[in-house]
Amino acid sequence: MLFNSIDFVIFLPIVLLLYWYVTNSSLKLQNLFVTASSYLFYGWWDYRFLSLIFFSSVVDFLIGRKLSNEANTNKRKLLLWLSLIINLGLLGYFKYSNFFIDSFVDAFLFFGKRIDVQSLNIILPVGISFYTFQTLSYTIDVYKKELKPTKDFISFTAFVSFFPQLVAGPIERASNLLPQFYKKRTFDYNKAVDGLRQILWGLFKKMVVADLCAEYVNKAFEDPSQEKGSTLLLGAIFFAFQIYGDFSGYSDIAIGTSRLFGFNLNRNFAFPYFSRDIAEFWRRWHISLSTWFRDYLYIPLGGSKGNLWLKIRNTFIIFIVSGFWHGANWTFIIWGALNALFFLPLLLRKKNRRNLDNPSQGKILPSFADFLKIASTFALTVFAWIFFRAENLTHAWKIIIGIFNSSLLGRPKYHPTLILLIIFIFVLIEWLGRENEYAIEKTGHSWPRPIRWAFYSFICCSIGLFMQTNETPFVYFQF
Amino acid sequence: MKKLLLKTGLFLGASSLIYIVSVIIIGEFAPSMFKKNISYKIGAYGHLNTRLKEAKNTSNIDILFLGSSHSYRGFDPRIFKEHGFTSFNLGSSSQSHLQTELLLDRHLQKLNPKTVIYEVYPNVFTVDGVESTLDIISNEPNDLGSVLMALETFNIKVYNTLILSIYKNYTGYYDSFKEPKIKAEDTYINGGFVEKEIQFNSPSIKQSKQLTISPIQLKAFQRNLEKLKQQHVDVILVQAPINKNTYQSWENIEEFTEIMNSQKLPYYDFNKTIKLDDSLHFSDHHHLNQVGVKLFNKDLISTLNRDNHFDQMLAKDSDTE
Repeated sequence: MLFNSIDFVIFLPIVLLLYWYVTNSSLKLQNLFVTASSYLFYGWWDYRFLSLIFFSSVVDFLIGRKLSNEANTNKRKLLLWLSLIINLGLLGYFKYSNFFIDSFVDAFLFFGKRIDVQSLNIILPVGISFYTFQTLSYTIDVYKKELKPTKDFISFTAFVSFFPQLVAGPIERASNLLPQFYKKRTFDYNKAVDGLRQILWGLFKKMVVADLCAEYVNKAFEDPSQEKGSTLLLGAIFFAFQIYGDFSGYSDIAIGTSRLFGFNLNRNFAFPYFSRDIAEFWRRWHISLSTWFRDYLYIPLGGSKGNLWLKIRNTFIIFIVSGFWHGANWTFIIWGALNALFFLPLLLRKKNRRNLDNPSQGKILPSFADFLKIASTFALTVFAWIFFRAENLTHAWKIIIGIFNSSLLGRPKYHPTLILLIIFIFVLIEWLGRENEYAIEKTGHSWPRPIRWAFYSFICCSIGLFMQTNETPFVYFQF
Repeated sequence: MKKLLLKTGLFLGASSLIYIVSVIIIGEFAPSMFKKNISYKIGAYGHLNTRLKEAKNTSNIDILFLGSSHSYRGFDPRIFKEHGFTSFNLGSSSQSHLQTELLLDRHLQKLNPKTVIYEVYPNVFTVDGVESTLDIISNEPNDLGSVLMALETFNIKVYNTLILSIYKNYTGYYDSFKEPKIKAEDTYINGGFVEKEIQFNSPSIKQSKQLTISPIQLKAFQRNLEKLKQQHVDVILVQAPINKNTYQSWENIEEFTEIMNSQKLPYYDFNKTIKLDDSLHFSDHHHLNQVGVKLFNKDLISTLNRDNHFDQMLAKDSDTE
């Protein structure tokens, strides 16, 4: 079920009313209802893969229980490996089988030997990368004795399958989300209103900003060799807004929906395009995944400690793995490697933790220095996004060489005026709200209600006037 | 929770009003780039506005033609008149069965035909009906039927256009609008027909494709047949000729033929019987030019004569006398 579908518009109020009016009497009933609703939400897409989520839940619940009773270090390690093998094995099978088969065949072909191996016809279960990492974080935290294993199976299944963030995150840590299932939720009006506001902003980001940009990007990148440099450059810039609007929009809807049910999820995006360097960008982009890799991969590898070679190695590992997490394609690996290249100079010069505050804190306009830093960081991310968007490396190369030629100064083939106007308004609202959790969190709090409501209505109107006429899935569903 | 429900309800109400006003303002005054989801096209193409106005002043005809552009560009009332039949063409561009249903509700009683020639273009059974809905809600005053039809298409562009169209009807724009009879290559002929300046098609290879029949369209089609049956109108299903390449590109055309045959009505697929030239008799890959129209209509009339359909019509005449 898509957040931007009529199915969800019907599903959400029904589930919400039942949750607060019918199952409100007991904690167990609330959690059971959350699980049932989540399974219905996921099963709407493909019920066959519900068994995978259930299987992952059972495995990690049981391993967590075993770990709580096990003092022997070797046996504890064995249990952790068992969880890793099962979870990553499933992820690997569904997501990476064809990539390894195809790469294997290509490698032999490179040496002049043709081997006949067929690609497998495997459907990628939506959200598998997200819930796998979520359950893994539970087992790893229990193994590290940073989290008490749960005895409550229903709470645990609700934690793994919680529908607002099941298919595209934020990837929640068990230490944040699981304890919230131990306490009965009580309705909080202000929290619910805040949730609705965040949902509205998420829908605007997805249905207006991302989908309008997507239309342009798809046309511009369909056959880069036929397009002018200016069209391709705009395509690359618009893709940066498409991917941000799409994914952060999803996260806003997920966080807002959770708030309606009385839950607090972690922030996933913190205005990444206002970053002043790449290190700051990665502290602000897909925060739940970046911190996951930081805590469970980068730090165990030694992090930024050790000699120069180790620092370089660890940086490349974390960025390339992060790229590979997105999908089984060399384009994602190059995207990760490029980000590592952008990040390394900052790390080696120990300047990766310079910009920990908000850009131009407390000011309406950015300082000139901040503006230049923000623009140059954005330019680097746009360049890297070309690989992320491209179908393969040849396609990416065609886009890049297509941009850098004399037609760069020509008039773009497709009119970008509306998109540029929407992006301008969007960036302005985001900039003015950059010190909040999300852009419109506090917009208009001091305004009279009619004006505040008119502002929200303006957002609703722009959705109705500029949305796509057919349902468009979220980009991150494919990951 | 009650407070939240109440406030949300109030907000949605207020917001809906603002939305309606915004659609009208943007539809009336904004540059076209802001009208991505508004498509008000009164008198845009196919002379639907003129046709629907003429339909209101027409009654008691022998033959009513229904269907897509193959109908209003393919059945020429002048040729039928030469054979002694009065007729009217109620086709419109990409008219799907949902729109045919609405047009029948509005015009069937007054037109009061003895026979309906229902043009069945396979593609029309696969579409969402958005294009034709936009066409009809822009070119005829709207009523509850338009709202129900718009709801069935489930498309934001249709909803926005309906809002603007209702406003335009209310302000008298529809009544004051006069569509020219000659527009570019098209000339409107009384009786609902549109004659295109003679053009010839350059045949091209078409990619094979499957026809995926929409259950919504099929149900609407069957409702239309039932409606006509209840009005004691004879129905003849006709598939008008198109280019061979286009026709042969439908891999499962025989499934479509089975569906038509299962309606237990006379069904004629002229792609299987008439011999036309893909270039000389067509203006594009699926529309006949006037030379093709004449040949097709002549063949249709002789086929219907051969199978005694006109005798039945005359028998009806004598019954009513």
